[in-house]
Amino acid sequence: MRVLCCLDGTNAEPISRVTDLLSPGGLTVGLIYVIDKGPHHDIEHARERHFRPPAPPPRRERQMLEVEQASAEEIIDEGLHYLSGAQTIQREGRPEREIVNAAAEWNADLIIICPRAEYSDKHKIGPKSVGHVARFVLDHAPCPVLLARPMNRDQFPIKR
Amino acid sequence: MFQFISVPELTKTLIASFVGVLTLIGIMTRPFRWNEAIIAMGGAGLLLLLGLISPVDAFSTLCRDWNTFLFFLGMMGLSALAEAAGLFDWLAVQAARFARRRAWLLFLNVFLLGTLISMILSNDATALILTPVVYVLVTKLRLPVLPFLFACTFIADTASFLLPVSNPINIIILSHFPLDLLTFLRLMLLPSLIVIGINVGIFFLLYRRELRGQFKPERLPPVNETIKHRVYFRYTYLVLIGVAIAYVLASAARFPLSLIAVGGAFILLIGALAWKQSTLRETGKRISWSIFGFIAGMAIVVRSIEDTGLTATFGNWLLHLSGGTTFGAVMVGTAGAALGTNLINNIPMAVVMTSALGSVQHAPLAVQHGFLAATMFGCDLGPNLTTVGSLATVLWLLILRRQGINVSGLDYFKVGVIVTPIMLLAGALTIWWLL
Repeated sequence: MRVLCCLDGTNAEPISRVTDLLSPGGLTVGLIYVIDKGPHHDIEHARERHFRPPAPPPRRERQMLEVEQASAEEIIDEGLHYLSGAQTIQREGRPEREIVNAAAEWNADLIIICPRAEYSDKHKIGPKSVGHVARFVLDHAPCPVLLARPMNRDQFPIKR
Repeated sequence: MFQFISVPELTKTLIASFVGVLTLIGIMTRPFRWNEAIIAMGGAGLLLLLGLISPVDAFSTLCRDWNTFLFFLGMMGLSALAEAAGLFDWLAVQAARFARRRAWLLFLNVFLLGTLISMILSNDATALILTPVVYVLVTKLRLPVLPFLFACTFIADTASFLLPVSNPINIIILSHFPLDLLTFLRLMLLPSLIVIGINVGIFFLLYRRELRGQFKPERLPPVNETIKHRVYFRYTYLVLIGVAIAYVLASAARFPLSLIAVGGAFILLIGALAWKQSTLRETGKRISWSIFGFIAGMAIVVRSIEDTGLTATFGNWLLHLSGGTTFGAVMVGTAGAALGTNLINNIPMAVVMTSALGSVQHAPLAVQHGFLAATMFGCDLGPNLTTVGSLATVLWLLILRRQGINVSGLDYFKVGVIVTPIMLLAGALTIWWLL
């Protein structure tokens, strides 16, 4: 089975724990990380509004690209630390679209994705707990999707 | 052309108005993604060609706006040379150090830093220079990027009426209707602080989930790495402190602020050349020369419309709509400026409003001040509604998204629609209360 794990910079460990639950025999793991290019477009729009050419000055743009690349490599290395031997895929663009396209190209049998990047230990259940990237992948994936929610038993029982 | 052919005045008025409106529509819609400067200069050129404004009048209009042109030049020069010294990178790293690992504290510090930079170096510096610097910083720290990016873009405009120099729009308006510093501060300082507070508060509410975490300080670049040349850096630091003090003194003495900006930029340029931190060519590249064409074109177009009496009618209509009361003046001025700025961008709106405000000069002083403060407030803060520039850009982004093309500007619009009306209302009510 070919399992594509979606990294977001905060979820290497929880994703690896989910893969442990799957049958290890014949499991091919792929790690994907997408550099989100949305902020670049936002910066370009802001520059155009102030009557400047869309692209920032070359030195600043180079610095932005270098930092993005270094951060992506670091996140993928972190993923490999938990899932050694996994294949790695690095893309750039809109994360949600790149993930579903990569899943189709890589012939993934299963996508594992977390609801959203979690920057603290407090996980909330309820509406909007699934971010726009995971929601898009759930809606458009070419294969089954496993939503890896964090353990959250302390928030139960919920109101009946 | 019409100088050689006898044409009735009404026809001239209609043609001048038509060209003016066409220019504004062109700026709103930007056909074929043309630069706004080309459209504005095209409109001005057509009016000159048709003889609807004489070259002498056009030249005198441009000469009258020398303070605006020089201020834009000085402001862009100061920012570009301060960036060359690594000042913005250094300030961003310091903001992260003071945050002591906490994402929410760094978020607050970014707001404070944006406020400080907008106040002294204008909103341009925050939106265009600080934003990518913060982007690099938060990417390194592995924090969520969007809240920080939006914080920079929004605070650039929200903090742009703390001082007259905080936004070139203020200079455009104040060049025609001078206000002494104390009156400016009396009318604008408290509304500024209130809208900054609202902006920060709502953003903390919107992004509370993303700001819960911490960052690892070892990911921060060493402070020394951000400084390219220690002596030039110190020199820049001192010159900017001097410029900030000079701005306040010049505002108080009604000395042209453009001369301070250009003077400061010149002193920085000498340092940059002496320590080989920038060249004249490099600095020139960092200046948006097209903006001068845009302002010049708009000034000539509006001047010819002014001659037809249209802007005076617009001003009288605004006065009538306000009912001649201070409350009406502030509300009508704020709403008009904010809506107009989202339709045609804030520079043309400021030029149009400046021309229209000529007709409220016979109103009581409090009403005049109400219109003046509201116009600056609306033109400065209004762009936060659509942020991407204008409603035309938003519509264009909507069309692209419907076609499945990658766009991100709509995310700004969603936040702007929530935050900006609240800030506009709160700020306008405060200005009215202070009148």
